[in-house]
Amino acid sequence: MKPGRFAYACPRTLDEALALAANGEAKCLAGGQSLMPMLNLRLARVEALIDLNRVPELARLERRDGILQVGATVRHRALEESPIARELQPLVPRAAREIGHLAIRNRGTIGGSLAHADPAAEWPLVAALLDAEVTLASAGGARKLPARDFFLGPLTTAASPSEIVTAITFPAAAAGTRFAFHKLCRRPGDFAIVAVAAAIRLDANGRCVAASLAVGGAHDVPLRARAAEGILTGSGGEIDAIRSAADAAARDCEPGSDVHGSAAFRRRMVTVLAARAIREASAPAA
Amino acid sequence: MEFQDRRTIRLRVNGRDVERDVEARRLLADFLREDLGLVATRLGCEHGVCGACTVLVDGASVRSCLLLAVQADGAEVGTLEGLAEGGTMHPLQQAFWDHHALQCGFCTSGFLMTACDLLASNPDPGEDEIRHGLSGNLCRCTGYANIVDAVAAAAKAMR
Amino acid sequence: MSAGATAKILGARVRRVEDPRVLLGEARYVDDVPLRGVLSVAFLRSSYARARIASIDGSAARSMPGVTGVWTAEDLAGSLAPLRVEHAQAAGGGPFRTCEWPVLASGTVRFVGEAVAAVVADDRYLAEDAVERIDFDFDPLEAVADMEAALAPGAPLVHDEWGDNVFQRVAMSNGDVAGAFRGAAVVVAERFATGRHLALPIETRGCVASFERGSGELTFWSSTQMPHVLRSELSRALALPESRVRVIAPDVGGGFGLKAHVFPEEILVGWLALRLGRPVKWIEDRREHLAASMHAKHEIVRGELAAARDGTILAIRASILCDVGAYTEYPWPTFEPNVTAGAMTGPYRVPAFAYEATSIATNKASLGAYRGVGQPIGVLATERLIDLAAAKLGLDPADCRRRNMIRGDEHPYRTVLGTEIESGSHVECLDAALERIGYAGFRSEQAKAREAGRYVGIGIASYVEVTAPGSAVWQSMGPAVGGWESATVRLELDGNATVLLGVNSQGQGHATTFAQAAAETLGLRLADVRVVQGDTAITPRGWVAGGSRCAVACGGAVLSASGRLRDRLLAAASRLSELPTGALEIQGGIVRRAADGGEVVPVRELARAMALGRAGDDGPLEETARYEPPPLTHSNATHVVTVEVDVETGQVKCLRYVVAEDCGTMMNPLVVDGQIQGGVAQGIGAALYEELVYDENGQLLTGTLMDYLPPTSSDVPRVEIIHFETPSPYTLGGFKGMGEGGAIGPPGAIANAVADALAPFGARPTEIPLTPERVLALVDRARSMREGGE
Repeated sequence: MKPGRFAYACPRTLDEALALAANGEAKCLAGGQSLMPMLNLRLARVEALIDLNRVPELARLERRDGILQVGATVRHRALEESPIARELQPLVPRAAREIGHLAIRNRGTIGGSLAHADPAAEWPLVAALLDAEVTLASAGGARKLPARDFFLGPLTTAASPSEIVTAITFPAAAAGTRFAFHKLCRRPGDFAIVAVAAAIRLDANGRCVAASLAVGGAHDVPLRARAAEGILTGSGGEIDAIRSAADAAARDCEPGSDVHGSAAFRRRMVTVLAARAIREASAPAA
Repeated sequence: MEFQDRRTIRLRVNGRDVERDVEARRLLADFLREDLGLVATRLGCEHGVCGACTVLVDGASVRSCLLLAVQADGAEVGTLEGLAEGGTMHPLQQAFWDHHALQCGFCTSGFLMTACDLLASNPDPGEDEIRHGLSGNLCRCTGYANIVDAVAAAAKAMR
Repeated sequence: MSAGATAKILGARVRRVEDPRVLLGEARYVDDVPLRGVLSVAFLRSSYARARIASIDGSAARSMPGVTGVWTAEDLAGSLAPLRVEHAQAAGGGPFRTCEWPVLASGTVRFVGEAVAAVVADDRYLAEDAVERIDFDFDPLEAVADMEAALAPGAPLVHDEWGDNVFQRVAMSNGDVAGAFRGAAVVVAERFATGRHLALPIETRGCVASFERGSGELTFWSSTQMPHVLRSELSRALALPESRVRVIAPDVGGGFGLKAHVFPEEILVGWLALRLGRPVKWIEDRREHLAASMHAKHEIVRGELAAARDGTILAIRASILCDVGAYTEYPWPTFEPNVTAGAMTGPYRVPAFAYEATSIATNKASLGAYRGVGQPIGVLATERLIDLAAAKLGLDPADCRRRNMIRGDEHPYRTVLGTEIESGSHVECLDAALERIGYAGFRSEQAKAREAGRYVGIGIASYVEVTAPGSAVWQSMGPAVGGWESATVRLELDGNATVLLGVNSQGQGHATTFAQAAAETLGLRLADVRVVQGDTAITPRGWVAGGSRCAVACGGAVLSASGRLRDRLLAAASRLSELPTGALEIQGGIVRRAADGGEVVPVRELARAMALGRAGDDGPLEETARYEPPPLTHSNATHVVTVEVDVETGQVKCLRYVVAEDCGTMMNPLVVDGQIQGGVAQGIGAALYEELVYDENGQLLTGTLMDYLPPTSSDVPRVEIIHFETPSPYTLGGFKGMGEGGAIGPPGAIANAVADALAPFGARPTEIPLTPERVLALVDRARSMREGGE
């Protein structure tokens, strides 16, 4: 299992990287934790690789205008341990901890994960939940896309072959928002069979004033469960509301089947995990 | 800036400077094993699951089957061959021996490299933290309990 | 006891002597063999389960730079015959039907992953590049991928000339089975199934061959569990004298039975080295390993148990199907389902037993040995049936087992199958395991947990592990293999000893345990004994490190050879000292007076005196012994596990795991504990995680380790181990085999624990691995049956 031949370039600036990408024939290499297995298995074939790991502009993790701006090659482990991320958007380090294993988190990057667009992966789910924006750049300029417009299908994004994912921005969590991240997998560290993330804000009376719910692994893209959010908003955490929101989330999904779970099982798990995530995120602060 | 099929890379491996011309597609694991003869880095799956090929790159544990040799240009790479000081075992090696933490030994290098990283960032891990930290390395012989004990014992010895 | 007595070495919990070189990075596995100019092999493998090979054209690949050549079946015709198992007669049944296994597929492919062409190139990168350039055209044929479907009339045939898909059908009935079922107070029946499993050593298969034209000698390095058998098979296949084939098994990165076979790839690599006159290497990649090495344990067992009102077992009946895949494992015929049957009577008095075992061909990779061969599902079936019967009778499952267990004073006990179980501690192990886990208090904990909405359960599996078959038993099962082992113990002139083994280690600790046996017998220090293994040029002939046989068979050989050498040392010392041999002993490398420990002569000086002809002993300073063990040797154990089941997601978590076991005299408890913990981990994998899945067309859906899931450090609990030591009255040293036992108990124990946890629903686990989806389906089925008013 050795990769086929390819050419390689290691740009030192974003402009160099964009120039290399301009003809759309090269593939970007970030952390390599998804691309390299595909190359080794010869399930993917590339003519040329652009190694983004030495582009300083892509490696920044910073607070900018009160939002969390994460460069594409920031590694999972850096996000897991980042005080800025913890402060601005606590779901980010929480989700980072769930990704793979130590050596994978050391090397894998958020931009690589988003560009790979596995609907069962952590970052696409978090991006969908938090209405994150993905910045795409090409030699012709940059554009920002909300997560909902970025993910088009399994392993398919709105990025054109000459565009590079350069950054993702997460809005700061509104004060009082509580998060939950529930992932069902066969063994800790595996890709999710189904994952559900929730962000819920209650008012002083315990009534839900804002609810976001997103589902991974049960649809061809990370799915925002809008109907469920509608049911939850304005509710008071009643069992019936939670149940009908969880059911609504499951209804919105069109899961596929694989050796880890059938479509029916995945749909059922959406109900279970959504209910758990909603309950956790709407529990009063400890 | 142009694409190249081969490159000359310079790096430090176990404290020694190395310069080699390598094909762009060459995996770091193959570079270490075949080009430098550092065969203690083992290949168990070549798709980033088993962890047998784990090495330290600038101190962080990484899977050397998922890294190209050209990507290690300029890096400091550590393999099992560099762990002991002369003939004296590192506390992790000693603890693995004392606790029967290996049987066939094929996964052992990867576990030791992962444990180095784990203990560098968390000098006093609890059992659950050790199990979580080692979960990316597969061992088929030991059932893990003795490895967990060995890492805990090494952590104590190193504090 | 003499004044000079020292602590016992054999049986001591000592650290392994083979570890420092591994820990310092000095171990050398087959991929590390330092040979210059070695060429690399890669295979084109079938992507169809069944197809006619219309054409293969390697010309484009052959012309690539760095490529030495491309070979297909056509190129081998006339010089490399297909493999075909000989000696295939099983007890109680007709002959095992064997098939030809072509080294490269010829005309037809029969499973996904079957090797079709081989490329040799300067390195593996180039070889894989060339594989992609081979042009081929296959005509797909309808495949049969399900063992039950393969038995149906009109099913596609894996081997056209057979007319059906049956390798073998064995039937046996002992005792009045029909009468027992007629008169039973309760009869329980269930269909059990295992997943298709894989041993999955972290080191894959691999070999390196180097042929010297001048001497006509082939040196062959292989990651194997049986260097001597491999040597014989290479000699036969390549038409070389055995004396000119040397097989070296260097450090071997795990085997677990998978590497106790000879593979077509190995034969081909030897043939290529002969033909090319250059060293050739093949290191299997993980994808090849999953698709085309040796699968394991894939069975369906329909079991029935008849019991009296007090829980006494009256009879067991079983129909066993085994999915062997496309070809017979080589060089043995598959005897998996027969071993399953043999395991089903366990540690119990079963007066009547009948079974039918069918080995079935399908379009899948072949089935071979893996730790516990056939026993885990046999134990799963019996242990589930006992729990089902106990529940129907309103008995405690532990009591029900205890009532039926062979008591110590009933040994040697002859089972209904005619096997003699020489000794054991079945009730003692059961009771000790239950006490350790707190069985008496568990029900109240369980009730409390259920009130809190948590479903916890406890499960028991007791079993007898069949180990170290003797020559006649092996051959009655089919394999042309001996049950004996041999060892040479050599005295060096400095008073050190070298022990040469016929078997080699894949991590079991031979370099320590057999050194302990020799050191103890010879009166040397452990550090003064070195073990050499895995090289047919220097070790005495042996068979295989498998069948839980090394401690018994090889241990007996080491004790025997060491004992003979010790006797010669004492005789020589007697001649030198003019003291009678009975007054002498050897301790710590010094011959001493037994009475007062006074030093007579150091072994070092004695060895020199013997070598120089000054001690009246002119034989070579070594002894070789061949030891034939008893027909069968039996260990026993009880596993008890507690689990928690998430009834919404179907996830099962093992909470505590206790093993109480008895493998007779232990050579080194540290090593025994390691084998148990590791075996249990594999058993947990089988019970909860691991399964090779094929679709109905014979496509493998679990082709990478993203899909085939061995347990990790997060999934395996620490095993709490209790030892009993009831020596075998028949083996030298009192040893009993134990290498496989850890893997035998978990499927049964965990299935019972899951059933217990889900008792409020009445769910009955029948199929492993118990994946979340399967567990939920059990709950659903039980609920709907209740609602349906069963």
